[in-house]
Amino acid sequence: MDAYLNFRAGVPWLSLLVFLPLIGAVLAAITPEGRDGRIQKWGTFALSLAPLGIAIFLAATYSGGSTDNGRQQIFDYAERLPWISVLGAEYQLGLDGISLPLVLLTTLMTPIAILASFNVRERPRYFLALILLMETAMLGVFLSLDFILFFIFWEVSLIPGFFLISSWGREANSRRYAAFKFFVYTVAGSVGMLLAFEFFYLATSAAGRGTFDLVELSRLAQGLPVAGIQGDLGQMVYSYMQNLGVVNVLGGSVGFYMGALFLATFVALAIKLAVWPFHTWLPDAYAEAPTPASMLIAGVLTKMGAYAMLRLMLPIFPEQMQQAAGVLGFFAFMSIIVGAWVAYNIGRAPFRRERKLNDIKRLISYLSINHMGYVMLAIAAAGAAQGDLNSRAIAINGAVMQMFAHGLSTGALFFLAGSLAERTGSYELTSFGGLRMIVPVFAALMGVAMFANLGLPGMAGFVGEFFIFRGTWPALPLWTILSMLGLVISALALLLMFQRVFSGPVNERLRGLPDITLREWSVLLPLLALLIVFGVYPLPLMRIANETALAVVRFFSGA
Amino acid sequence: MDFFALAWLIPLLPLGAFVFITFFSPLYRSRIISGSVAIVAMLIAVVLAWGILFQAASAGFGAGSESHAAPAEAAHGEGTVAEGAEGEGEHGGVHFEGFGGAYSQSIAWAATGTTTFNVGYLIDAPVALMLAMVTLAGFCIHLFSMGYMAHDEYPAGHERQSRFFSFIALFTASMLGMVLADNLLLFFICWELMGLCSYLLIGFWYFKPSAYRAARKAFITTRIGDVFMMLGLFYLYTQAGSLTFGTAEGQIFNPALLERLHNQTTFFGMSAATAISLLIFMGTVGKSAQFPLHVWLPDAMEGPTPVSALIHAATMVAAGVFLVARTYPIFIESETALTVVAAVGAFTAIFAALIAVAQFDIKRILAYSTLSQLGFMVAALGIGGWVAGLFHLLTHAFFKALLFLGSGSVIHGMEAAVGHDPNKAQDIRNMGGLRRFMGVTWLTYMIGYLALAGVPFFSGFFSKDEIIADAFGRGDTLGYVVYGTLSVASLLTAFYMTRQIMVVFYGPFRGFQPRPVDPQQDYSEAVPVETPAHDPAHSPAVTSASHGAHDSTAKTYTTHATTAAHGATAHDTHGGHGDAHGHHEAHEPHESPWQMTVPLIILALFAFGAGYANIPEVAGIEFPGQHWLSHFLQQEAAEFNILVAGIATLLSLAGIGLGYAMYRGAFARATDLDPLEARMPGLFRILNNKFYIDELYAATIGRFTNWFGRGLSFFDRNVVDGTVNGVGVGSLLLAKINFIIDDYVLNQGADNLAEGTAITGDGLRQTTTGKIQDYGALIFAGVLLIALIYLYAF
Repeated sequence: MDAYLNFRAGVPWLSLLVFLPLIGAVLAAITPEGRDGRIQKWGTFALSLAPLGIAIFLAATYSGGSTDNGRQQIFDYAERLPWISVLGAEYQLGLDGISLPLVLLTTLMTPIAILASFNVRERPRYFLALILLMETAMLGVFLSLDFILFFIFWEVSLIPGFFLISSWGREANSRRYAAFKFFVYTVAGSVGMLLAFEFFYLATSAAGRGTFDLVELSRLAQGLPVAGIQGDLGQMVYSYMQNLGVVNVLGGSVGFYMGALFLATFVALAIKLAVWPFHTWLPDAYAEAPTPASMLIAGVLTKMGAYAMLRLMLPIFPEQMQQAAGVLGFFAFMSIIVGAWVAYNIGRAPFRRERKLNDIKRLISYLSINHMGYVMLAIAAAGAAQGDLNSRAIAINGAVMQMFAHGLSTGALFFLAGSLAERTGSYELTSFGGLRMIVPVFAALMGVAMFANLGLPGMAGFVGEFFIFRGTWPALPLWTILSMLGLVISALALLLMFQRVFSGPVNERLRGLPDITLREWSVLLPLLALLIVFGVYPLPLMRIANETALAVVRFFSGA
Repeated sequence: MDFFALAWLIPLLPLGAFVFITFFSPLYRSRIISGSVAIVAMLIAVVLAWGILFQAASAGFGAGSESHAAPAEAAHGEGTVAEGAEGEGEHGGVHFEGFGGAYSQSIAWAATGTTTFNVGYLIDAPVALMLAMVTLAGFCIHLFSMGYMAHDEYPAGHERQSRFFSFIALFTASMLGMVLADNLLLFFICWELMGLCSYLLIGFWYFKPSAYRAARKAFITTRIGDVFMMLGLFYLYTQAGSLTFGTAEGQIFNPALLERLHNQTTFFGMSAATAISLLIFMGTVGKSAQFPLHVWLPDAMEGPTPVSALIHAATMVAAGVFLVARTYPIFIESETALTVVAAVGAFTAIFAALIAVAQFDIKRILAYSTLSQLGFMVAALGIGGWVAGLFHLLTHAFFKALLFLGSGSVIHGMEAAVGHDPNKAQDIRNMGGLRRFMGVTWLTYMIGYLALAGVPFFSGFFSKDEIIADAFGRGDTLGYVVYGTLSVASLLTAFYMTRQIMVVFYGPFRGFQPRPVDPQQDYSEAVPVETPAHDPAHSPAVTSASHGAHDSTAKTYTTHATTAAHGATAHDTHGGHGDAHGHHEAHEPHESPWQMTVPLIILALFAFGAGYANIPEVAGIEFPGQHWLSHFLQQEAAEFNILVAGIATLLSLAGIGLGYAMYRGAFARATDLDPLEARMPGLFRILNNKFYIDELYAATIGRFTNWFGRGLSFFDRNVVDGTVNGVGVGSLLLAKINFIIDDYVLNQGADNLAEGTAITGDGLRQTTTGKIQDYGALIFAGVLLIALIYLYAF
């Protein structure tokens, strides 16, 4: 039954990939700091290139595909070891077409974030150790095929996030609030998901053999054979509830209990992805986080939510997805609209009293909500009742592309906003003006990042948006049409932001600011270059995602 | 030499110039090197494009080869010459018979489920024509820019002429890429890149608030249209399975697919073909600045003048018309869509012509004229005159590029007299008698003028006549309505152009005593600071936004942008120009350098001669090359109606006569009142204010957008986040209660117990005195206590 796991003899690349950063984190934390942590900075940077190299190697040698008549994606470079046998949890890693682009994104963003942290003065070694710890956690989430393992990484990712925000954040008071909100909100959300999967474990053990294996669970849910367990997942949950006597009290059908578990899982993932109305932790966290942490959290960490939707929600709750697609589409639409309009409201900065309403980082944060709304819409459409196979696959391809592109462009924008604040000491939109005259190259790079973010054709973001909406059109036409508003308003918000900072008469107070530095170039160049490369020629990335996307959605098209 | 196989070089040449100029920083400040690179790239592109045209005209597209059996997959990496579908047949007055043969090449570009999305280029007859036009006009504009941008408005040390060249090179590259695209996605990508370039170029002088606002307005307004167009693409893509042009299975002009679209009913009872066509047409409405999304185009005059020529003639606005022409097989499946197209075009034609009558800015007059002429083209497509629309697109590109570059030359000359203030240098009332100072400009401008006014034997006459004849020839209500509207619009065209010519080139030169730009009087340009909703430079959606943001500084901005009373201040702010155009009085307007006049002459030749590409048959006389364009496009030649042509000529002459009569003696001084304003002040004011459309948008859409943003923001912070915080606070409260119970009852209870024990212990220690009598007393007391409890408690 392991036909879908492609084990490869030799080096356990995925484990190496996941735990190398952890080793780096420990090394960085225990070595003496020396002069402003130079050893740690260069050391962690050099070390973080190793996962990037491994990820590129994996992408180059990745052999995707599907089995079971195209209904089960193959996991390449799979690893499987017995782990906590009492719980039935296994140490199981695997790579498929949806995780690979995100692994590439993570391993790319980490060295860039480390470069961006070179000017951290306060306890740099712990800062860098936390960044690497975050990388381990994120890679672990993207590569785990066992729920317990997945969940541990999922929760561990919060720890570095919490400390990065609360100890290195912008302002002493608000950063503590933001960090707590980030941590508590996400943990509170995850509890439901954990319970849901414990139910699955108990239900499956009643039906033969308890499992936390994500692939096995999804195969059970889709009626594919699994060794040692008979029957349908929903039915198992229902009969387990019957045995417990819960059905006698609450009544209900198979759908009711699966629906409840679906809801618990959805809330956990929606909080992570910052889908409206679970999004309010995000602007606080992004805005308060130090620049490198903003880049990683906004660029990669939130994508864990979308990834988990593709890995958990679509395959394990296919019927619930079909029923809920319209509602999920509505949440996505609201994210798009709220994200765009609130950003616009910040962009036009009509009130100067409140910092919150005049802050570049908050504006970019709300646009992140907007962009993740597109991804959510794609996922909803991929699992909707209507729609054809190709449209679903296109939606997922678009979502993967969008996540990749958004990671790069939003990372660049946060970095530029941070650099701007470093020069001027302000994040307030109304404190600039005419900077294009003073720092022309900086302005040009910000312009490129901005247009990439607003989905200008020729940049990767457009490819994502175009294929997302192409994919959602047959399934959710109403939400697609209405969501297009977001494209206009988010563009308007970004243009307002850009012009407020760079156009108009020169703000004399800011004369003599230095233009872009070499370090800033080295951070921005890979981000912007990749955005253009994949915008001009998206095939390499889309080809990786496509096979897996087809396997994930084939159930929905009844094939 | 197979020019078809080299066609991909055409967009890549200017793109290469763009990359080269942008990234090779030693050239960053060199106008000569960067300009030359761009011009040479364009020159090669011209040669290639005209090579393609001649190859297409002489060899044709493999006529007689086997019919379309080559699906997209077969086209991989190798050239295919395929013949188009046989006659599309007549759809009620529509003369369109398919695109004819085509040459295409493509590569895989994106993975889309079980299919692959291919991207490549395609050459057929209309593409070959467009390439020839765009490259030639683009080349002239590049060359002209070399002279025009000799000095720009930048402060010393910030000259950005090379940046200008990189932008216009990218602009031209996008247009050429769009023309060559073999599918609608690539078409759209290039289309949007043009939107980007227009943003960059309109906002080229980004330190001027009016410029960057106009740029934003252009980008957002066209994006509104583009969003609808994208929906059309999604719809079409879903139905067809690809976006590739062509009639094969799985391509968008496949007859079976079109049949299905025609019969399928979708929302609001429209046929799918109607829905798709109208959505795609919204893209045209945005890009070609048709009513109601026309508002961005006149403001786009904030960019340097060669940009206006590029936007208005060769590229951006032509793109919209070309989009409809390109997807025409879908449009002709829907009567409704064509009617809407015709109505929008005809309305815009007359609407913009009316506004043009009452403008004073030389570029704005031309801008509205462009709107109006685009309306002609769109209306032509709507009534089924595919060749006529395309023909007018080509002739218009030449004469409008000529007129814009001519106006640039005029402005350039005027700056010698009035300085670098656009409010003075571009106001036609400050001009007059310029033909004495700038002979070449005058002569070439006159040719453009006669072509635009529709005077016989100039190019505009032939193409406009073909549109009007097509409308008349339909013989139904729609045809007559369009015919009538366009006839009035062409009368107005002749009138406002004569007005412009008379005021600019004839009469006394008034530039030595220019109009003081008084915001109260000159409502065409000025912005009364007190009434925010009045700013013409504002985007409808952001009007109050910008005002809100700038309220403390709005006054200064407005002053800079619009009043010349503070010319000196403006000059100081914009820095020294370091050239002879600083302060004037002594200088007369002068003729422009050769880099500017040569393009004018080239364009003038085409503005005159392009019409002969499709001369009709008059009274049975045969000309060589008659109906060449129709034959080349493989369409039926239009019939010539001597009556229609006669009426059109009479109308043009009437407009010219009226203009001449009215403006012959007007404007003795720059401060004089316009004769039309003197007669009809109310009407003039409405026209001058462009029917207050901008104000209407600001008051409705703009206000709604702002209000909605504020509302959502409030809701987000107070209700959504309020709930989250409420839950948080609630949990904290629960925790607190828990804590209290814990702390005071349980925790402290234990403490108390311990403490109590200790105290008791202390107390008890007192009792352990070691004296036997104390113990005895205590025992007695204890027994007494127990006895009492025993007696009373039970």
